Amino acid sequence: MNSFIAFIMGPMVWISVIIFLGGLTFKLVGILGAVRQKEPYIYSYMTLKHSLRSIGAWMIPFFPRSARMSPIYYGISYLFHILLFLVPLFLASHIVLINEAFQISWPALNDSVADGLTAGVIAALIFFVVRRFRVPEVNYLTSAMDYILILVVLLPFLTGFLAYHQWVAYQWITVIHILSGELMLIIIPFSRFSHMLNAPLTRAYMGSEFGQVRQAKDW
Amino acid sequence: MKYSNRFILFLAVLFVAVMTGFYCYAGQDLERLDPWAFESPRRPGAVFSHDDHIFLADDDCSVCHHVYEDGELVSDESSDDLYCSDCHSLKPAPDNPMPLEAAYHNLCRDCHFDRGEGPVLCGECHVKE
Amino acid sequence: MKTKENPMTDTPSSVEKPTDPAIESGLERLTPDRIQQVIQDVLKKETGPRFKAYVETCMHCGLCAEACPYFLSNDRDPQFMPAAKVKNTIWEMLKKNGNVSKDFLRRAVRISHLECNVCKRCSMYCPFGIDIAYMMLLVRRICHKLEITPQYIQDTVNSHSVTLNQMWVKDDEWIDTLQWQEEDARDEFEDLEIPLDKMGADIMYSVIAPEPKFQAGLIYQAATMMHAAGINWTMPSTPGWDNSNMAMYTGDNEISGRIARAFFETAAKLRVKRIVMGECGHAFRSVYDMGNRWNSWVMPPFEVVHALAFYHELLTEGRITIKEKYKKKVTLHDPCNVSRGRGLHDKAREVVNMVCEDFVDMVPNREHNYCCGAGGGVINCGPPYKGERMVNNRVKAEQLAATGAEVLIAPCHNCHSGLEDIVHHYDLKMEIKFLGDLIYETMDKKIYTPGA
Repeated sequence: MNSFIAFIMGPMVWISVIIFLGGLTFKLVGILGAVRQKEPYIYSYMTLKHSLRSIGAWMIPFFPRSARMSPIYYGISYLFHILLFLVPLFLASHIVLINEAFQISWPALNDSVADGLTAGVIAALIFFVVRRFRVPEVNYLTSAMDYILILVVLLPFLTGFLAYHQWVAYQWITVIHILSGELMLIIIPFSRFSHMLNAPLTRAYMGSEFGQVRQAKDW
Repeated sequence: MKYSNRFILFLAVLFVAVMTGFYCYAGQDLERLDPWAFESPRRPGAVFSHDDHIFLADDDCSVCHHVYEDGELVSDESSDDLYCSDCHSLKPAPDNPMPLEAAYHNLCRDCHFDRGEGPVLCGECHVKE
Repeated sequence: MKTKENPMTDTPSSVEKPTDPAIESGLERLTPDRIQQVIQDVLKKETGPRFKAYVETCMHCGLCAEACPYFLSNDRDPQFMPAAKVKNTIWEMLKKNGNVSKDFLRRAVRISHLECNVCKRCSMYCPFGIDIAYMMLLVRRICHKLEITPQYIQDTVNSHSVTLNQMWVKDDEWIDTLQWQEEDARDEFEDLEIPLDKMGADIMYSVIAPEPKFQAGLIYQAATMMHAAGINWTMPSTPGWDNSNMAMYTGDNEISGRIARAFFETAAKLRVKRIVMGECGHAFRSVYDMGNRWNSWVMPPFEVVHALAFYHELLTEGRITIKEKYKKKVTLHDPCNVSRGRGLHDKAREVVNMVCEDFVDMVPNREHNYCCGAGGGVINCGPPYKGERMVNNRVKAEQLAATGAEVLIAPCHNCHSGLEDIVHHYDLKMEIKFLGDLIYETMDKKIYTPGA
């Protein structure tokens, strides 16, 4: 068991981070290359100013009209995305492991705060599931893959939460925690999670078309 | 499967997982290290039996109570007359590259990995009180 | 026609869906192989990373629903939401690699041609800025290549193809109409001219074919404004005068490009400095945004000025003065293609306030205004679809009614016709006018002299 844990805490972390970053980089290069080859007009219309203007406008909470029309979903989704990065990156236990591996460290969240925020992430994910069932237009669009993607995010947070509290089968929960975290990283470039790369690009393009050609706002 | 059925299944699995956790939780009296040298320890002291480890180390104290000089391990010399924190300060310092917390973690965990036995995950040592 | 007793409660199912002879005969000619081959060709050769990114980035969040007047007008029926229209057309084609049935295609034509105005409002409600209108146009492109485009709009494209104008206006008919309007307008200004083919004029004025066909009075009004403002202008006598472009909306990109090219070449031939165009939205989109791209110009080779901006120029420069402001309570409809499409909404408001005394905004407005429900080629699919179009426009009717205005200004031909239908169907008791109508009505009919 220890050698298995050594593998998933060592080489497997490297493998998943390399697939995650490498996959996204590969994807970005692929997109930029394909645009150059098949749709070079896109570059003619992209401007940095309008790209940033649009992305910026959509980053301001409740600034776009769309957000104000669906404030609950948008608010929860907004916080969820922040926590998705904040909690794992500023979790004391993770920082300890990184510190021991690379001798770098940064301030950590208080454990009980992190615990509460993790519960928040889990609650947000449950809200997303409920919304997929309950809101007809969202339900209409939903496919099995949407639930699988939610599950992929839910697993590391739920097992992390359980592992912290050590309620049950600690060793197994933690092993699943590590594996599911790695799974999430690995599938990001190959699933619709790649919107972390694509969304800024599509927003930037739309922002440029609106800003440059249409001279109108797109929020 | 219909969406509503899938949802019920989802909730059921969640419920079972959480409830099992509560039932399995039981406090135990365990022999622990005393984290007195830490200013404000985030975790309870690690579960540790000194007697068991003396036996596992074949009475060779220097396996754990090591001595380093100029970054080199001095073999066959033991530091069992010192506290770990005598050498390992809380923060890295010029005369000590290895802070106390990392010293514990590396010493215990690496050995457990090397030997293929013993706890290696956070909560296996820092068992909740 | 259904009873009009309670138009607000009509549902799509209560309106009979017509069968379109062009769609039906087109479908009959198709074989499964042909369908698959055409879809694969378009998806493979005519799409790229942009389409791929749109498909694999959508998180099915449903925020686009709130944007779509079709969704809102149909009691939030999910199949009218933007992403659902994509799901029921192009996603499915992609998933099945083009192996789709005729029934599927019959539905796809309806979705892309009759249940979407390609107004792009939804791309302002999608956090990722996914361009759903682009994908609907892609579906129309596939329908075009499968030859199942609805009959009426296909006829306008046929006309474009033959005559370079949308309404089968013959060459002499066009010149006749201009001369007739010139003659009439001389009642007001005795030396008024509609200068034809005047080389090197400052401005080429261009209109859409429906103007000479049945709204010649608009040319008359424009001529009086040009004359009164002392503009050095001209109109072309040759094909290429029509700036409309229905092929742009059927996915007949080859003809669409040809129309825009002929238009720009006409302006180039006359060596004019700028192009000014009448109050039309889709025509503006064609020559300002899309037609130029089909001819490899990033931006149009000429400065293209929409009537709204031109009126603004005339009024702020004092070339036209308003004698007495218009009294009735007016509201303004922001056409997608000049507001969301060119940000002219603020200038439009300035003009309206210069011309009218009592202006009330509709809500939502500017970039967020609801489409008239006629644009994007929807009204051009013809009278057979009017009944369901009215159902699909309910939210627009409610928005109009809430203003309490007596006069609705619609500075776009498509919007004008569509809103006319809405106002009648929902019995809104509003008069619909072009902005030019009001300026013509209120302006001082004297000739501008610089410095005076």
